[in-house]
Amino acid sequence: MALAIRRPKVPAGLQRRRETRFAWLLILPTVLFVGVFTAAPIVGSFVLSFFNYSVIAPAHWVGLANYQALLHDSNARAAFGVTFLLTAGIVIAEVVVGLALAVAVQRRMNWARPIFRSAFFVPLLVSGASISIVMSYIFDPQFGVLNYYLHLLGLPQVPWLNSTWGAIATVMIVVTWQQLGFTFIVFSAALGAVPKELIEAARTDGAGGWRIFRKITVPMISPSILFTVTVGVIGTLQLFDQPYVLTHGGPGNATQTVVLDMYQQAFQNLRFGYASSISVILFIVVLIATYLQFRISRKWVFYS
Amino acid sequence: MRTINELTQRQVSRRGFLAGVGATAGMAAAASVGLSGCGGSSGGGSSGSKNTLTIAVNGTQSAATAISQAVSPAFKQAHPGISLNFMAINGTDWNDYFAKILTLIASGNPPDLTTVATEGLQLFAAKGLAEPLNSYVMSDKASLQGFFSDVHPVLIESMMYQGDLYVLPTDFNCGNMFFSTELLDKAGVSYPSDNWTKDDFYNVAQKWSTASGAVAWDWVVRLWGSWTSWMYANNANLLSEGRWPGGSWMWDTFYKNDPAAQGRQGGWHWGTPTANDPAVVEALQYMIDLKNAKLSASPDVGGGGTLQGLFASNHIAMTIGGGFWAGGLHTAGMTPTSFDVQYFPAWSVQKHLLGDAGYAMLKSSNNKEMAWEFMKSLTEPAALGALIAGNTSTPTRRSMMTASRYAPTGPAHWPVFYGTLDKFPNTTPIPAPPYYQQLATAFADRTTQAMSSGSAKSALDGLQSDLEGFASSASS
Repeated sequence: MALAIRRPKVPAGLQRRRETRFAWLLILPTVLFVGVFTAAPIVGSFVLSFFNYSVIAPAHWVGLANYQALLHDSNARAAFGVTFLLTAGIVIAEVVVGLALAVAVQRRMNWARPIFRSAFFVPLLVSGASISIVMSYIFDPQFGVLNYYLHLLGLPQVPWLNSTWGAIATVMIVVTWQQLGFTFIVFSAALGAVPKELIEAARTDGAGGWRIFRKITVPMISPSILFTVTVGVIGTLQLFDQPYVLTHGGPGNATQTVVLDMYQQAFQNLRFGYASSISVILFIVVLIATYLQFRISRKWVFYS
Repeated sequence: MRTINELTQRQVSRRGFLAGVGATAGMAAAASVGLSGCGGSSGGGSSGSKNTLTIAVNGTQSAATAISQAVSPAFKQAHPGISLNFMAINGTDWNDYFAKILTLIASGNPPDLTTVATEGLQLFAAKGLAEPLNSYVMSDKASLQGFFSDVHPVLIESMMYQGDLYVLPTDFNCGNMFFSTELLDKAGVSYPSDNWTKDDFYNVAQKWSTASGAVAWDWVVRLWGSWTSWMYANNANLLSEGRWPGGSWMWDTFYKNDPAAQGRQGGWHWGTPTANDPAVVEALQYMIDLKNAKLSASPDVGGGGTLQGLFASNHIAMTIGGGFWAGGLHTAGMTPTSFDVQYFPAWSVQKHLLGDAGYAMLKSSNNKEMAWEFMKSLTEPAALGALIAGNTSTPTRRSMMTASRYAPTGPAHWPVFYGTLDKFPNTTPIPAPPYYQQLATAFADRTTQAMSSGSAKSALDGLQSDLEGFASSASS
């Protein structure tokens, strides 16, 4: 159908500039939103890290003093150690268990995949704080449901929240349980996209299930593994809700994560400059971790 | 209808583009200004208008609404045209509450008044956030004489800092021992007497535990009423106890003939850290020993809600509590006779810890005169009664401690609450210096460390080092 509207002829260069301008106009709200609520606070934190600032008194320039103090702060060093430990444990558990569940459901109960997908995803929709409150009743060493059933089974009771390793394990279990839905869905989608003819060809050639999984399935879903690991590492390095509610960072500082330490320094100790220096270091750590993952991924991620 | 292509190719005039950018930038700038307010100084005045008093309350919105309904009508009748805006700030504990209040002040939106407990009194006073009340009190001394003559001087002194008074205390709680009469009866264990000792406590705990197979006692990791009660009973403290000079204006004016006011000065001065003093270590080690003997549960960190629930559901036989437990246990379904209270047992001494609370006027308030009128109104028995209806705390006015007040909630030995102040002149506030927030965090960390490692000494050596650092930073 011919258009009745007649447009004036516009030179190509002018047309391109108009389009570019209009495109900028469209993305401007997002750019401003990110600028004001993400970039500006990042820059603000960086600037603040060179000041001694208690919020209720004027800020004083202290140069690198906050970073020097951070170097000598054994609590902050411990918090980074705890965070790395939790990140390693949680990300590995999320990937391994998520993948195992996705494979099991795909092979044995493909018909029930939507049910499992919903069941595993629901915890992800609930806030970490709410889940942690419920979990604190389950994992309570003295009066918790879990130890009650362990006792019924004749098993020894576990000091979940009041021993160093019990508290670390509890935080890992709770976070992994909550995040599992995400990795499950990503791996379910990735497994569904693995070409069946490749697997059938391998089977025809006599390859067993484990060998097919290792040599075909894993390489084919390796981009998804990289994605879940990257997202998991970035998220877990910023862990706060669960240790804050479950253990308050204890016992001692056994589950004191970097963000929890940052929160305490800022909002309880009123050391906003110092807390900002911790956030800057954490930002650099996240950047390095992400860069290393992509760098190493060249050796094991297969993009078909 | 035009196509997408047509829409995208439509000319956008320069004026239209600039107007769009301008509007968007304006919104962003407004947002930025809002954000930058977060980092502003505390110089901003209170958020309310001249006719509105904004009062921050530590609790849920429903609690704030209840307080508002209880005290607003009388205040508004006396001060027509003034409205009260109760702002609920739900802190998990005082530390959390103060963090939120300080953030509110920093954001340029401070209230006129805020609830302040012993925990934060020196924090607010030392940082210049709270207004001293000396001149207000002295200019209204005639109308306040009745209040002060009805309030024990220790409750006033604990609200003083460096000779100045900052709060007219409305309620208080001493660390007493609550026990379940129902559980002790079942186990055939006799109730503790008022001069019972640590050994008596141990015997009761052991008898109950043997009879029931359950833990006898529990506590919460916090500064008020945790193992700190045992530390006080062992005549020790985390910081050396002293007093600021001054305060004679108060004692000479209102407590001249009160023997309980003898020797009182300008508020508690918390000095050098003594957290690894042998008596302090002994107190915390006693908690570890009780846990190892399965006479005590592993304590939670926090506000004590879980502990109250466990006690109310008959899971534990004894715990530390104050007058506020009467209302809490009643609300949780306990009958007035199913629990009772006794003084805290003696160890090397019989000494109790204390915390009281009230409203502080912020220096930034633009409505100071009206804020003072509100503070004064809360000294009236009717307002105080409404404020702590249902025995959610203990009134500071002695005359309000009556049998009829405790008849609906219990406990039978309610005179213990005020009796702690009268019978034990050594009752002392919890150690809450200006660096309370750091102290509270380190205290919780080191206590859980001790309970998990089983070594009180190493944890308290760590706490001593923490406190020395905080004290040094605070004084520099």
